Amino acid sequence: MIDKYLYYFNYDILAGTSVVITLLPLILIIYRKAYIDPSFRLLLFFLISKLIIDLAMFHLAATRANNLALFNATIVIRYVLLSGMFYSKFEREAIRRFILPVSVIFSIFTLWDIWQCNENLSNLHLHRLVQYSATAESILMILLVLLYFYELIRSLKIPNLLTFPFFWVCAGLLLYYSSMVFVAPALHYAAQWDSIMKIGLLDRIPYIFDIVSVLLFSMGILVFSARHYARN
Amino acid sequence: MQETEQMIWTLFVGTFAMLMMAFFVISFVLYYQKRRFAEEKKLNEIEKNYSRLLLDTALNSEETERRRIAQDLHDDIGTMLSLTKLSLNQLSKVIGENSEKEEQIMKKTQSLVEETILHVRRITRDLVPTTLERFGLAEAIDEFIHKLEQVNTLSITLNAGTEELPRQGQKIELTIYRIMQELVNNAIKHANCSEIDISLEMNDKFIGLRVTDNGIGFDPEAIKDGHLAGLGLLGIESRLAIVNGTVQYSKNGNGGSCALALVPIISEIPENKPGPLHPFRREKVII
Repeated sequence: MIDKYLYYFNYDILAGTSVVITLLPLILIIYRKAYIDPSFRLLLFFLISKLIIDLAMFHLAATRANNLALFNATIVIRYVLLSGMFYSKFEREAIRRFILPVSVIFSIFTLWDIWQCNENLSNLHLHRLVQYSATAESILMILLVLLYFYELIRSLKIPNLLTFPFFWVCAGLLLYYSSMVFVAPALHYAAQWDSIMKIGLLDRIPYIFDIVSVLLFSMGILVFSARHYARN
Repeated sequence: MQETEQMIWTLFVGTFAMLMMAFFVISFVLYYQKRRFAEEKKLNEIEKNYSRLLLDTALNSEETERRRIAQDLHDDIGTMLSLTKLSLNQLSKVIGENSEKEEQIMKKTQSLVEETILHVRRITRDLVPTTLERFGLAEAIDEFIHKLEQVNTLSITLNAGTEELPRQGQKIELTIYRIMQELVNNAIKHANCSEIDISLEMNDKFIGLRVTDNGIGFDPEAIKDGHLAGLGLLGIESRLAIVNGTVQYSKNGNGGSCALALVPIISEIPENKPGPLHPFRREKVII
């Protein structure tokens, strides 16, 4: 089995790296005790779920099985946890009120999208990627990041953004979701078990920016100070 | 096939544009936040300077008013009292030694006038420290101590660190003098002490004034929190703010308290010269 994993890791280094690198911010969150901040606690839950799902997907990919059902499941979990992170960070009540219902509506919409793309849900072998949900998720997350940046600029509470942990998290999310907006719909048509469409380097972009965003999360956690957080 | 290639290229361009936008947004937020903070800092600096200027003007006005009152006391009331004394002397000669009762009343009146003259002189000297302007800090403090010891049973000592304390700018000397007055008065009023020690220390950068007493002491933290900060202590802070000075309060080991005021030395030629013969010039004091 290990041979298969190693073979697959060598075959798709980018995919393998994007799985392994999740350990870096995970360890850092625990080591720096960043989980005392509610938003970083949600980030910790997100990273744990991401690692588990990524490992499962890696296992399925290494054993040549369809893992797209897991990818589809990730979308809901990822959006709920990450938007929850913003929920605890936003100070404006109007935006907070908008986050929770949108999470619910988005989850229902994703479930509908999974169902409309896969009429036979029990057939995991021919499971297909969602058509609209990944793009919608990207647009919503970009919107949340931009709104948060606007709030940061308006409130003028952080003298140096480079030492503000959540700024790095936002930067990582903005880059990842900006890369996904156009790639996500293409993946729906490209990633099919029975008829593969070659989209060249486009299918590498999510992995590259997944790694970049995880590295930026790690930067944010590195500048996190539990003592400073407690004082504030 | 060609259509697929075109679609891939379109997606590439779109993704690239989105990523550029993301980089731009991140850089813009960083730059804009930095600029807003720089502007805010500048505005705070202007506000701070303006308040300092207001404070400076208020203290200048206070000193000018003190000087005007002192001058009026000296020129008008002082002169009139001197003339009254002369007149009484002449009247005393006219009355002669015929009537004992009248002579007694005359002597009492003369002594009252003498006493009033002394009081007026003391008040004018308290209002404007002429010794400070003429001879400098150490002499002025020494005189202040001497006067206090005449009316109190306290033991007040002055330790001037350097034998010949070099003269400083009028503003610095007056600030230190007024702070010393306030601290000593506070010690007398509130500390219930029997000994006060005043020391002047000086190095290349600072002049330090330390006032130590052996009284009941106080909690320095309460001053920091603003619970004990009365008008006197606020006045000290205000005066120090103008000359960029600082003050620290601490408890003494023996139960008393200690206040240390540090004033930075400005490398300028002292404008103080030995005072003119007339001590109360009618001019604006620049402190």
